[in-house]
Amino acid sequence: MIAGAWICLLAPLAGALTITLLGTTISRNTAAWISTTSVFAAFGGSVAAFIGLLGREHEERQVVTSAWTWLATPNFKVDLSLLIDPLSLTMMLIVSGVGGLIVLYSIGYMDGDPEERRYFAYMSLFVFSMLMLVQAANFLLLLVGWGLVGLASYLLIGFWHERPEAVAAAKKAFVMNAFGDATMALAFFVLMWQTGSLNFEISFEGAQTLSQTTVNLVALGLLGGAVAKSAQLPLHTWLPDAMEGPTPVSALIHAATMVTAGVYLIVRAHPIFELAPSISNLAAGLGAITLLLAGLVALVQTDIKRVIAYSTMSQIGYMFVGAGLGAYSSAMFHLMTHAFFKALLFLGAGLVIHHLAGEQDIRRMGGMKTVMPKTYIAFLIGSLALVGIPPLSGFFSKDAILASALASGGYGQFLFILGLIGTLLTGLYTFRLLFVVFLGEPSPLVREHTQAAQAHAGEEDASRPHGEPVHHGEGPSTMTWPVGVLAVLAVAGGWIQIAGLWHPFGHWLDSIAFGRDHIDLVEPTVTQDYVASALAVALGLVGIYVAWVFYGARKRSVPRFEGFQEILEHKFYFDELYDLIFYKPAVLLTRGLRRGVEEPVIGGSISGVTAGARETAGAVGGVQTGYLRSYALVIALGVAVLVVVFVSVQ
Amino acid sequence: MQGPDVSWYLIVAALLFSIGTAGVLLRRSPLIVLLSLEIMLNAANLALISFARMHGDHTGQVFALAVMAVAASEVVVGLGLIVAIARRRLDLDVDRLRVLRG
Amino acid sequence: MGDFLVWAIWFLAAAGCLGSGLAVITFTNPFYSALALISNLGSLAVLFLLASAEFLAAAQVLVYAGAVMVMFLFVIAYLGDRSEGVRLSGGPNWVRIGAVVAATALLVEVVVVIGLAADDQLSDTAEIQRSFGSPEEIGRLFLTDHLLAFEITSIVLLVAAVGGVVLGSRSRAEDELDEAEAARAGA
Repeated sequence: MIAGAWICLLAPLAGALTITLLGTTISRNTAAWISTTSVFAAFGGSVAAFIGLLGREHEERQVVTSAWTWLATPNFKVDLSLLIDPLSLTMMLIVSGVGGLIVLYSIGYMDGDPEERRYFAYMSLFVFSMLMLVQAANFLLLLVGWGLVGLASYLLIGFWHERPEAVAAAKKAFVMNAFGDATMALAFFVLMWQTGSLNFEISFEGAQTLSQTTVNLVALGLLGGAVAKSAQLPLHTWLPDAMEGPTPVSALIHAATMVTAGVYLIVRAHPIFELAPSISNLAAGLGAITLLLAGLVALVQTDIKRVIAYSTMSQIGYMFVGAGLGAYSSAMFHLMTHAFFKALLFLGAGLVIHHLAGEQDIRRMGGMKTVMPKTYIAFLIGSLALVGIPPLSGFFSKDAILASALASGGYGQFLFILGLIGTLLTGLYTFRLLFVVFLGEPSPLVREHTQAAQAHAGEEDASRPHGEPVHHGEGPSTMTWPVGVLAVLAVAGGWIQIAGLWHPFGHWLDSIAFGRDHIDLVEPTVTQDYVASALAVALGLVGIYVAWVFYGARKRSVPRFEGFQEILEHKFYFDELYDLIFYKPAVLLTRGLRRGVEEPVIGGSISGVTAGARETAGAVGGVQTGYLRSYALVIALGVAVLVVVFVSVQ
Repeated sequence: MQGPDVSWYLIVAALLFSIGTAGVLLRRSPLIVLLSLEIMLNAANLALISFARMHGDHTGQVFALAVMAVAASEVVVGLGLIVAIARRRLDLDVDRLRVLRG
Repeated sequence: MGDFLVWAIWFLAAAGCLGSGLAVITFTNPFYSALALISNLGSLAVLFLLASAEFLAAAQVLVYAGAVMVMFLFVIAYLGDRSEGVRLSGGPNWVRIGAVVAATALLVEVVVVIGLAADDQLSDTAEIQRSFGSPEEIGRLFLTDHLLAFEITSIVLLVAAVGGVVLGSRSRAEDELDEAEAARAGA
């Protein structure tokens, strides 16, 4: 079991290093398969660890394995150690499993790209970083994983580095995440200082005795990092721009795994958040606002990937609501099902984009159903799961969160209302996307690409943008197979926890609870469960119906509320606001500093030193007159002075 | 001791020394400068001899002999320099010979 | 009588010394200055004798006045007549004034020191043997107590001799100059 955990962590790292070191000596395809194998090996390791943990008693499911002591000072010690417990195992399985499927998919998607090896090395690096994040047994190692994940995200968003938009998006993501990293680091400093350790157990114990302000500060810092990484308000603007990266990257990093790290952090550090209820409520509140805002903005997006990105932002908002209110198992459950259906949606979108040679604007699409029927079915499954229609997975997980919100008192009930509105919006924007892209008559662009694909079937063609290969139907098997697996998971993934009937998932996670038996703080009653579910499904169906009316077969014209439309299209002007508050003052400050400090003071002092030295040399040089007699005179005068000195001093 | 005290010798030596200094500083011909330098050295020798006499110790005379030898060497080198300068048709003028200036 | 004679000789020698010293620095013709220096050295030799430094007096006359000054005269003769136009010539004003100041300062200082510092000490002259200042005594000291000084002095003399030869030898620049002049004279 322990070996399994180490293999899980180190296999992707080995893959990344191998690809890097072998460089161009291996073919691009070999590099792709090395990466895929390494991630699946990680999955194998995590399965082994899972089986091992299952074989243990409920209370003994917290295994820590240390490699060596990393830092040791008299007051503070940190080991390189991994924690194998139900929470980390859940994440390990999701990351390596879904990750493996996505990397496999990338073999087909990125085929022909001249820098394919770099891509796969980065993907392996990312999987390693994410696994390190979830397997860390102390906050310091978690922070290492956190930072590396941010790095991998930056590298992968900006993968096509000749595109200035991609580079800008990568920088934006990194800078916003850096802000979160900073708040997290500050929280760790306080924790370290007050409790003397960053080890989970010890710091949680120590946190019990801290003052309310201190705990609030720590929780706030952790929340800052979570908000940045999970693209919640107010640090959310980087996620839509991150769609500049290749689609599998968007699927893996910005849907299934990295952006869920914030939720993981909150669940992992739940003892601290429970000691700071105001911060937990803040987290839930931010999640609720985000889910509404993202849902609204998604209504007017015209890029297929951006719709799905805002959808991700919205769904993570749900997870934050759950985690903030103490419904940890529901939040993790939704994290898992969301990984399935969101990856499915992204990969399906990737199939569409791939077929249309890179086109991402949905206004130019239409009627894909006749062209790519299997993709349509996959996309439909994903959409239904996302909206939460039973018996697909999303239904069970999302409604668990909503039920817990209902059961959490006044504030929770308010969030419940917001969450319900969110389900309406989810139904609306998701099926808007589905209908626009897949239903109706094939658009001119679609027809053009379909004919071209049919004409070129069987030929080799290597000179397309991003090097797309020949279209074999809807895509090579390396791309369609993972989509199929994810579709199955999106359907069946939710059957692992049915509210009111059986709770194996919740029971599984109960082991990680700190100081109590059940992990969740709230247990909704059966009535609340059914009420919540009924309302959510009803509103979702209403959203689907509205979408059908406007975007479906009959295509009524969409009512346009001009002013509101503007605001939505500008994403509530957050980008403009941040530009005004942060970017412009920073630019002014740097310009001012350069003119006022750098050039005169720093540059001036250096050139001043040289000028001064030159002048001094010139002045001193005047002593060398060349006159023999003046030299002799100086000697004589000097001797005269010295005589006086010697005589007086005796 | 018969004759003047050591102090008288020393006064003569001092006067000779300052005469030599004045000659070094005020004349333009390097030859004269060299000669004035000799005067200064001899003044020092006189002082050494006087003190040797005063203390009854030969060390002063030994030192004076060494000074004489060094003075001779210095004259050789100095004259060699002057001859070399003259050979190159340069002015034997201390004020004109100022190539080594800063 | 003996004492008076000694005093008289002393004054004559001292006067000769100082007078010839002044002569050295005031004559314009270097030849005359050199001759004045010879007489200066001779007077000094007399003073040495009066101070019981017989060997040194002899050395002074033989080496200094005899060899060194003769060499001086040879060189001056070789160089030809280079009488200076103005005696205390040229140079910035401050050099001239400074020179006078320096010389006077030194003189005054030395006299003051002599006067103040060790007035009664200077009257105590030690009793000496008749062999004081003889070659034997000096030779013995040179080869025992002050052997290092002896050796170093000999090295200095060697270096000076070599240096003199090197400095005095003709250089190619001079040859070219001579040829140029001969060509001009011939053409």
